[in-house]
Order: sequence, then structure tokens, then C-alpha cells
Amino acid sequence: MLAAVRSATLIGVDGQPVTVEVHVSSGLPAYQVVGLPDAAVRESRERVRAAVLSSGFEWPMRRITVNLAPGGIRKSGSGLELAVALGVLGANDALPAGVLDGVAVLGELGLDGSVRAVPGTLALVDALARAGVECVVVPALNASEAALVGGVRVRAARTLGELRACLKGEEPWPDWDPPPDVPGDSDSSIAGDDELVDLGDVRGLPFARSALEVAAAGGHHLLFCGPPGTGKTMLARRLATILPPLTHREALEVTRIHSAAGEPVTGRLLARRPFRAPHHTASTAALVGGGSGRARPGEITLAHRGVLFLDELGEFAPTALDALRQPLEERSVRISRQPVSLTFPAGFQLVACSNPCPCGAGAQGCRCSDAQRERYRRRLSAPLLDRFDLRVRVDAPESVDVRGESSASVAERVAAAYERQCARYADWPWSQNAHVAAGAVPRLLPLGPDADDAWRALIAERILTGRGATRIRRVARTLADLDDASAIAVEHLDGAALLRSDVP
Amino acid sequence: MKGSAGPPAGPPAPPYDPVELAAAILACLPDMSPLRLHALLERGGGPVGALAALDRGIAAAVLCSDAPERELPARQTLARTWQEGATLDRITRVLVERHPHVFVAGRAGYPIDELPDRPAVLLAEGARPDALHAPRVAVVGTRGATPQGLDDARDLGRVLAEAGVTVISGLAIGIDAAAHEGALSVGGAVIGVVATGLDVVYPRRHRALFERVRSAGLLMSEVGYGVQPRRYAFPIRNRIIAALAQVVVVVEATLKGGARITAERAVEYGRTVMAYPGSRRNPAAAGTNALLYDGAGVVLEPSDVLVALELERPAPRPDLRTAPVGEARAVLHACHGEPATLDQLASRAGLAPAAVVAAVRALERGGWMERARGLCWPR
Repeated sequence: MLAAVRSATLIGVDGQPVTVEVHVSSGLPAYQVVGLPDAAVRESRERVRAAVLSSGFEWPMRRITVNLAPGGIRKSGSGLELAVALGVLGANDALPAGVLDGVAVLGELGLDGSVRAVPGTLALVDALARAGVECVVVPALNASEAALVGGVRVRAARTLGELRACLKGEEPWPDWDPPPDVPGDSDSSIAGDDELVDLGDVRGLPFARSALEVAAAGGHHLLFCGPPGTGKTMLARRLATILPPLTHREALEVTRIHSAAGEPVTGRLLARRPFRAPHHTASTAALVGGGSGRARPGEITLAHRGVLFLDELGEFAPTALDALRQPLEERSVRISRQPVSLTFPAGFQLVACSNPCPCGAGAQGCRCSDAQRERYRRRLSAPLLDRFDLRVRVDAPESVDVRGESSASVAERVAAAYERQCARYADWPWSQNAHVAAGAVPRLLPLGPDADDAWRALIAERILTGRGATRIRRVARTLADLDDASAIAVEHLDGAALLRSDVP
Repeated sequence: MKGSAGPPAGPPAPPYDPVELAAAILACLPDMSPLRLHALLERGGGPVGALAALDRGIAAAVLCSDAPERELPARQTLARTWQEGATLDRITRVLVERHPHVFVAGRAGYPIDELPDRPAVLLAEGARPDALHAPRVAVVGTRGATPQGLDDARDLGRVLAEAGVTVISGLAIGIDAAAHEGALSVGGAVIGVVATGLDVVYPRRHRALFERVRSAGLLMSEVGYGVQPRRYAFPIRNRIIAALAQVVVVVEATLKGGARITAERAVEYGRTVMAYPGSRRNPAAAGTNALLYDGAGVVLEPSDVLVALELERPAPRPDLRTAPVGEARAVLHACHGEPATLDQLASRAGLAPAAVVAAVRALERGGWMERARGLCWPR
């Protein structure tokens, strides 16, 4: 009187295969779930029972024990309910033996026996496919999302009754609806106005635009600093329109993370790099992940392989900003919890805007006192400012300035420079200049014949920290890539030095 | 501790006479303030008498006889502390060890003329007590100075030092430090007036500057050893800077800043106040422009200060920089003498970003431009 059904649960942003074992034995009617279930799993009992009864099956009036294996991992969410229900049916001889071999089941149950969508389907199916499962049964609403994984047969389930009939071969498997045909609207943060936003809207500001282009091409962290109303935010938001395209593998990874975090996923791969713009009241946990209860990925993980945009950098809590420092270096964040610690990917590009002082006017016309300015400056800690490869002062354009180049033509140059980098770093674990390990910089980013002296002079004249010098060299390499130059020349070094000024 | 420094090298202060020793001990008592010291000296009949009153255990009577109501409890507690033999012994030990110069108001060698709130006692450490015998000019200003303001302060310090004038300042970040650096660069005499004990270095990043001031001049304070920086102490200290100087020059100051306080005190004391004019757009020039509006003397070049001291104006120094040519010249011109962003320079000069990069780098190397706070500052 034992049945085992494969399913999966989410741990952080990754799936973890789980085997649901249901044992029905003689004894007083009882229902027991063991194997570290969380509250949501434990309370699934009522839903499973109602769904089984509503679907016209018998609920065994005996002792039912549900075991979730492996036992050491906390199971969360409601995605295991369908597997439990099938297990009960199997243990009660309501399913033919063997129909669930090599099959995994995901789904939440309604009291009427309907199968409801589960968050993180992509991550769950991905984990199951890796574990050797050949076929997954998922809620019909998640079927197209599950099909993105590839290499695994996807079956849709609409109701428990229909599912049993399909498994027994009495009915054909239902088709699932293809995903809606609207491309690109899943990047929720810039949804709505992507069509309207273009770099061509920005008048003048050639250096700020160039900084944006360099940031997009090389993946460099970027800080715009300047008085309010000069176009910092307008520029930064347009970064999303010129970023290099996602590769298929990257798109799958990003979509999986977003799905696991409960972000709406339409059943298509995300077409564009994520652009996340949390408000400055965001807490540390909201930014880097964690929080009470189940540790959730933060904005930096949702911005993985994309952009984290922090407007009004000086208004964020200093503790939240300092928490960004370690993920900025390691490109992942470790959330330690009893009993497990989770590692979330956090390979994001940081783009920030800041006012030069509390009143915002900066060098011209500011009425802040020395002490006020000093306090404001201290909010942005030096180690954080040091991590921006590009730091550019933005002031209002001059009256003579005209509209600039459109996003499309900039994006072309960016894509070309990005491909050059991908080719150069084919044998390395990174693909953009900004991520070249400091130790590999002298070897991988060689200077041109004339640039040696300029490099030494640059180091001598600015009192560069070792980190600062390396950052300037990486930016110089991106400038060279945008120029299609094989080695870093003097003008690239000079340009990189000028794009990293000591703001605010 | 905010950092501490060892006793100075150089000629030691002369042996103390009883009045100096008593005055130094009184100045070093914990939680001493100018008002309390004044009360103690007034009621005790001079330093020796006041110290004797402490020894006899009647400090409370002396200190509290006509203290303001809200000061009374504090003074009663203090009087008890001050009478303790251990406190007096500790202070005497520190004084013997560091042996500072002691200047007592009203006695020979005291550097400040008759002023109502001049410090009763000044302690000083440093190798050049003769810095007090030269003409003295205070150079003060904001901590948030612009690169141009720092240039001006450095230049002024140098010109004053070359004319044999002692440069007084407060050793703060910004204008204060730049003025001293300028004077020290040509071997001039300087006086740094601090708001802490003479053994405390604040701000800490000026440790090296403190040492240079000790060896090329004097470090002065009216408070005892070990006193840490306190917010309210700086404006009080500023009155000493104003009192010590014949001329107070404000290079750059915001509307609300310590430099304005120094200037106001200087006016009260009848000192000459001079200021550098600045752009009305420069917040660090708002304070100086306001001073000029109120009638301060205008400094258009450093030697104007020498003229105010009735010294001879030196021959102008030739500009040794090579004049920029071509696009660099156009970019420098595009600044119009004020800070500008790279974007503004590109627009105004009508040049491509790459050309602006080359021009700015050339100007930087030639000493015509400095980049700071994300802006390009012509110099």
C-alpha cells in the first residue's frame, strides 16, 4: 500500500527534486506529513482531501503517512499537492502500477480538483530534467514555461480527474495554449514605455552618452552625478535600450530566476536583460535578498545579467548600500540561514544617479553648509564609490545642443564590441571587460606600443588605488573594443581616466 | 583618542616662573573653559592666588561666588575634582614632560593686545616661538574649498611667507591647510591655532602637517592636554585666530561657516579683514562676497595683503607655464574661467569628445586645468 511520486520544491532560486511517498495502512483514520514540510505544505492536507473527494475518488479512511524525501531539506510552497494526491490515489490502488515511472508531477490543487499554477515552474522542471526525469506533468498554465527547458516531455494537467484518466490512457493529454504573442512585455520594470524611450531623445551630453555606451558594452558599473533635472535619470533609463542581447543560455537562466522569485513569466524566455529600479526606501533584504521566513532573492538577483538602477543613491540607507559591496565583487550573494545557506546569483551591473549635495545644485549656486555637504558625501562610502568604473558629472545641456544618436545605432556598436569581448574571453569564465579578474588584467588587456608611458604617467599623477588603476584599464579596453582596436591606445586610457572622475 | 603627537623638537621653552606654572596648571584643569578660568583668576587674584585657593580647598567658594545660576552645580562638582591632589599632580607631570611655552595675559611676551575675551592663558609647542615677532596674517576659509580656492590659499601662503609674514590658520581641511602648505613650501613661519589639546591631532589626516607646523612654527591652544575635539570649541578657537592676526584674509567661505565667525571677531577686534571675490555661482564664494559687500578689503592678488600690512609689493612672478595652443586653447577658453563639465566644454568649443579628451589631458599636464568633483577647473 505504498506509492512514490516524483516532484520538486524551490530552494532559493533553484529547484530540488523531491520524492513524495504515500503510505496507507490500517489504523485509525489519520493524515501525517513528515520530512520537514513548511506550514503551506502541512496545510495542503485539506486541499488534497477535498480535491480527491470532489473528483469523485475515494479518500481512504485509514492511516495515511506522507513522506517528503530527502528528509533534510525544508519543503515549501503548495507545488507538491498534486503529487501527494496522485500518491494517495496510487496507494489506494486507484492508479495502475507503473504509469508514474519516470514522470514528475507539479501542481497546486483547488478544492474542486482543479490544478493551479505554481511559481518557479521553470526552475523546478530544469532541476527535474537534470535529475533524469523524462516527462513532467505541470499545471496547464505553466506548460509553455516548462517546455522552455527542453529535453523533457511536458504534459499539461487541468483537473485531477482528467489527469487520472490521461495517465490511465482513457483520454488524450490536453493541449496547452501557446504563450501570448506579445514580445518583450515581461520586463516589468520598463514595461509600457519601451517603445517610447530612445537615446535619441537626449540632447547634447556627448560624454554622458559615451559613458552609457561604454557601460553597456563592457558591463561597467556607472554613476551619474549632477544637479536635479539635468537628465541623469532619463539617460540611465535608456541604458536598457542599448544593452547587448541575451544569449539563449543567459535568457534561460534569467527567466528561471524570475520564475522562481514569483515574477510573472509569460511562458516565453525573457527577450531583454532585466532592468530593475527599486525605490530608495528599499530595505537591505529587499535589495540583496533574505527576509524573514523563506529567504527570497533580492533585487540584485532579479537584476542578474542585467542592470540594477538606483536613482538618488544618496537617499538609500547606508547599510543597504554597504551590503551591495560584497555581491558587486563576487557576483553572487550568500544568504546564511539556519539550517541552510543559499547562494543567489547576483551578476548585476550597477547604475546609479546621485545629487552632488542635499540641495542638489552642486558647485554652482548651492547653499548647503560645509557640514551638510560633508555628511551627504559620507553617506556614499568611499569603498562603494570606488567600485564604479565610470563616474560622470552631468549638467544641463547647453542651449545649442541638438538631439543625439538613436538607440538603434548605439546598440549596434555595443553589440559588436560585446561580440569582440565574448570572442576574446571564450576560454575564461567571464565575457565582458568589467569582469576580467584583476590578476589577469596585465596579460589579457595589453597596452599598445605608445600607451605604456601614458599609463605610467596616469598612475603617477593621480594617486590611484590599485583597484582604481585596474578599473581605468578595463574601461580603456572597452573604449578600444568600441573602436575595434586590437590594443589599448593613449586616447583610450585618457578617455577612461576622464570618465572616472571624483564625484560627488 | 583622535590621535596624539609627541612633544616638539627644537629649543625648549624657558623655565617657568611661578605665575606661568600656576597659569599653565589652571589652564590644563579638566573641563576648564574661558569663562571658568576667568572667574577663577578674577576671584583668586591671579594664577598663583587661584592655585593656592585650590590647594587650600576653597576652590568652590572662589569658583561659585558669582557664577550664573545654571552653572552652579557643574562648578561645585568641578571644584571638588580640581582640588584633588592627584589631578594637580598629573597636570604638573604632563607640563614637566612636554614643557610648552606659556603665555599669560597681561605679562610680557603675551601676543594679544588688550581685548575683552582674549584667552587668559595660551599654551604653545613648536620650534619657532619667534614666529610671533613677525607681522601676522590669518588665512582662513571653508573646508569645502574649490580647487581654485585651494590654489589661491597656497599662493597667498607662499607670498606672505616670502615677505617674512607669519601665516596663522586653524589647521582644518581645505583653505586652512592649503595656506600653511604654501607658507611651509618656502620655509615660512606659521602658527596653527587648534581647538583641542596640543597633544591631539585633529583632523587625523593632517598628522604630517601638524608635525611640519611644529618644526616650522608654533602650535597654539588655550585648552589643556588631552582635550578632544568638540563641535562647540571651534568657533571659540576662531576668536584666537582673529586676535593673533593683524590682517584676516578669507579666501573662500560659505555663508554659514567658521570662517565667517573668524571674520566677524576680527572686525570686533578692529583687525583688517580682507576677502577674495568669487563667482556669484560659487557657493564657496558666497561668504567672501558677502564680506566684500559689507566692506572688507578686496584681494585681487596676494600682494594686496602685503600692501595692507604696509609692506612692499614684490615683483610679480612670471608665469612659467607654456601657453596652450590649438584645441587645448579653445577648450580652456570655453571654461570662461569657471568650472565646467566635459559635456559643456565639448558643446561650447564645438569639438568631438575625443578631441576634448586630448585637450583636457594636455591642459592638465600643462598645469592649466584641474579635474575635481567631476568638473574641469581652469587655473
